[in-house]
Amino acid sequence: MNRTGAPTAPRPVSWGRLLGAELRWVLRRPRTWLMLVLLTAVPVLMAIGIVLSDRPRRSLLAEVTGNGLTLPVVALSILLTLLLPLVVAVAAADAIAGESQHGTLRGLLLAPVGRVRLVAMKSVGVLVVAALAVGLVTVAGLAAGWLMIGPPAVLGADGALLTMSGTTLSPSGALYRIVLVAAWTLVQLAAVGAVALAVSAWTEHPLVVLSSVLGGLILFGVLTSIPALEPLHPWLITTGWGAAADVLRDPVPAGELVRSTLVAAGYLAVGGAVLMVRMVRRDA
Amino acid sequence: MSTAGGIGTAQETAQRPEPGTAPPAARVRALRKVFGRVTAVDGVDLDVPAGSVFGMLGPNGSGKTTLIRMLLGLTRPTSGSVELLGLPVPAGLPAALPDVGALVEGPGFHPFLTGRENLRRVAAVEPRLAARDTGPAVDAALERVGLADAARRRFRGYSLGMKQRLGLAAALLVPRRLVVLDEPTNGLDPAGTREIRAVVADLRATGATVLLSSHLLSEVEAVCTHVAVLKQGSLLAAGELGRLLDAVAGGWEIATTDPGPALRVLREAGATARADGPGVLVEDGPDGPVLFAALVRAEVPVHGLRRHRPDLETLFTRITES
Repeated sequence: MNRTGAPTAPRPVSWGRLLGAELRWVLRRPRTWLMLVLLTAVPVLMAIGIVLSDRPRRSLLAEVTGNGLTLPVVALSILLTLLLPLVVAVAAADAIAGESQHGTLRGLLLAPVGRVRLVAMKSVGVLVVAALAVGLVTVAGLAAGWLMIGPPAVLGADGALLTMSGTTLSPSGALYRIVLVAAWTLVQLAAVGAVALAVSAWTEHPLVVLSSVLGGLILFGVLTSIPALEPLHPWLITTGWGAAADVLRDPVPAGELVRSTLVAAGYLAVGGAVLMVRMVRRDA
Repeated sequence: MSTAGGIGTAQETAQRPEPGTAPPAARVRALRKVFGRVTAVDGVDLDVPAGSVFGMLGPNGSGKTTLIRMLLGLTRPTSGSVELLGLPVPAGLPAALPDVGALVEGPGFHPFLTGRENLRRVAAVEPRLAARDTGPAVDAALERVGLADAARRRFRGYSLGMKQRLGLAAALLVPRRLVVLDEPTNGLDPAGTREIRAVVADLRATGATVLLSSHLLSEVEAVCTHVAVLKQGSLLAAGELGRLLDAVAGGWEIATTDPGPALRVLREAGATARADGPGVLVEDGPDGPVLFAALVRAEVPVHGLRRHRPDLETLFTRITES
């Protein structure tokens, strides 16, 4: 130790170590796994429900609505309306507001983890939870649908059922669509996560984050149902959330998928900017 | 009453820098913090000398914690400047904070992790620890604060004292140049309080500066070399404990086996005096030699005469109530 002059400042902890510490913390949390297991159960329960309601003879309808392609898509689409945003909001609430409530945010800043690095570390943590959630639902949906009902099938552009040769996609073609819808869902959740983290940066009460995100989604739903507010609708992130089903059509209509991705990018940018501005100044 | 601290003088080491040669461990100038309509810290100038054990005293709400938080970059000052280990805050924080250990506003940990896991998380982001050293450093820190046996229990089940110890372990995970302890004895039993005292003495022996805030005057008096007294956000007094006590010293302690006649003689000589234990305490009046001469002339046996130095509590009361 050198007391006459400052010793050389140590190099900051490496990104790998920082992110490793954050992910270990996120994944050690019992509620993270509880939420992920419950989410994974949804497509499996949907498959079981379709199979049970369709006995004794499996109908053509079941082949279409519950097969290996549609089940993951429908599951993601349904979960995106409420449960997936909730999981992301919980992760974002714990990430900053929760750390602040426990006094551990102070510890991180005193380590020191720079404030900009802290934002990056927390964003990655939330994104990983979102990716795990989307990944598990997709894989569970694909597996349950394929095993219990049938291989991937697809609707024609006019909504009519294609011929048997047309209903079955090649495995790579089906996989491409599933990856596409999963990636699209993850982008939408990243936007929700950025906004949730921005709220999280303003409070030390995790419940404020949860109620803001869920309240916001409900509010958007109400606004969508008011025809007079039609000019507002394209700007609501929830408006584009029906686009997931587009990957079930052949060829895939890209318009709404692209538009909703751009809207999500806008939410992501605004949420990220607010988050950064707030965290640079925040008391801990 | 011992004042400057038996621990301190016993461990005064040769390596301690001469006063004035080392930059202060912390320095604030014209520091001010306003929360809405409340002025928490109001124009404070303060130096925490390197190598000192610096006690911050003040009633609840006097601005101690806010001052510490501004020092560590946790809160932005409304105005004024802060230097930590010679570096400006906040620009110099990345370079300064690795050498600062802090326990501020109670220990902050996650209830669902064990004590050890909590410390590992702290160690993982500690720049002074190489990745492979985090495990041994955590174990050593737990051992040091006496939590080795409770390391595998969840933090949620810890008692207040155990939580405080874990906070101390986090602050002392690696050797520090400055250790900031905000109310470190909160929730500790007498044994724990003694241990904190020993930790502070150890830190001082290694040349580290210790800044601690407390409302327990006896604690501060036992370990501190310097004190600062805050009230309603203003600094009322700051400096070396011994000098501050001398500054308010008044009167004389006279050891005598015959207090009755002594009191009479002293009062005749114009002194305000009262019996104090086995001797006599002169609170006001003529100077010591005059009193001594009067007593000797009256043939009162005098075994000793020395300047009366108040204890910290008297000093504190006098400073905060004036």
